[in-house]
Amino acid sequence: MTKKNLTRRVSIDPDVVGLLEVMERRQIESQLPRREREKKSRERAKISARRERRATYDLPPLVRNKMMELSGQLSIPASQLVALALTRFLSDYDSGKIDLSIYKQPSRSPRYDWNLELSRVDEFKKIIK
Amino acid sequence: MKIISFANQKGGVGKTTTAVTLAHGLALSGRRVLLVDMDPQGHVALSLGFEKTPGLYELICEKKTLQSLVVSARDNLDVLPGDKHTEAVKREINFSTLKNSTFLESISSAEYDAVLLDMAPSLDALHAACLIVSNWVIIPTRMDSLSVDGVQEVIKTLGGFSRRGHVFEGYALLPTFFDRSTRETYLQFRDLATAFGGRMWPPIPQDTRVREAPAFGRTLWEYSPNSVSMRGLLENQKRVGGYRQILQKLMEILDD
Repeated sequence: MTKKNLTRRVSIDPDVVGLLEVMERRQIESQLPRREREKKSRERAKISARRERRATYDLPPLVRNKMMELSGQLSIPASQLVALALTRFLSDYDSGKIDLSIYKQPSRSPRYDWNLELSRVDEFKKIIK
Repeated sequence: MKIISFANQKGGVGKTTTAVTLAHGLALSGRRVLLVDMDPQGHVALSLGFEKTPGLYELICEKKTLQSLVVSARDNLDVLPGDKHTEAVKREINFSTLKNSTFLESISSAEYDAVLLDMAPSLDALHAACLIVSNWVIIPTRMDSLSVDGVQEVIKTLGGFSRRGHVFEGYALLPTFFDRSTRETYLQFRDLATAFGGRMWPPIPQDTRVREAPAFGRTLWEYSPNSVSMRGLLENQKRVGGYRQILQKLMEILDD
């Protein structure tokens, strides 16, 4: 019996396939009643606007969990709490209240010169406790 | 060295713009390129900012040498121009004479990395002979039924040559003047992609800059290197199509 883990060979250029999918979706949307069309358009604009604001960073799980916990307790979106925390950090950094040199450790990465040793950060120790 | 033809029996589909843009793109990438204007309109010369001359006619009918007729249009880019005299070539010489002429031999043996043939919107003896010496055929087409009919005619012709034993390395369809907002574009694009699969290349978007550039005798690389026809459509934060992407495909073909 033929094995089922076969994958279909894609013979069409992936960019052509992607473009066709987008155009097909738009064609379907164009057949919808006006209200539905406007709703879809608003949704697309919202998704597109959010894309600009998205970023992916690696965080220690403890920090991430603490942020989610706080978000639940205060009923505030975690993204906004993180935005506030980063804004405060940038402000403190600019005004010289934060000295990163005490946390710096040489990095072996070819891309970066330094790592920050988070275990030396007092606030991080408090979260661990 | 590879010979690449730009053909569609329908006029106004972007053959000359595509041939000129890709030829200059290859030249800018360091490839030595010869661009031959097979069209009696002689628009290759105008697109590159010089006057049309009967270069092709003199090569075929007056037996002048290729070296004496080519014009150095840009660094690495030579052009064999054409003008209304090209029309006379078709009257004076038939297919078998052409096939055995020094013209095809001089093109095939020229010391270039690529020879690009900008064909006229017709399929006479001259163009049939040129298709036969081509390794690759690129078929620019608008997304409308008349242009697509021109595609079918070229493909039938290629099929006829193949049946008679000629082996093409490949051909590709290049959608041009691509306006993604219309239903007709979508339907034609979908049907062609379904029918031709991997031979369908990502499109060149509709772009006013393409019409403006020849008026200044500049290629798109010089006139508007970052316009939408060069960089492609923006879909999901990714660029799709455009001459830059097509140039990459062409370079892969040359390196193959």
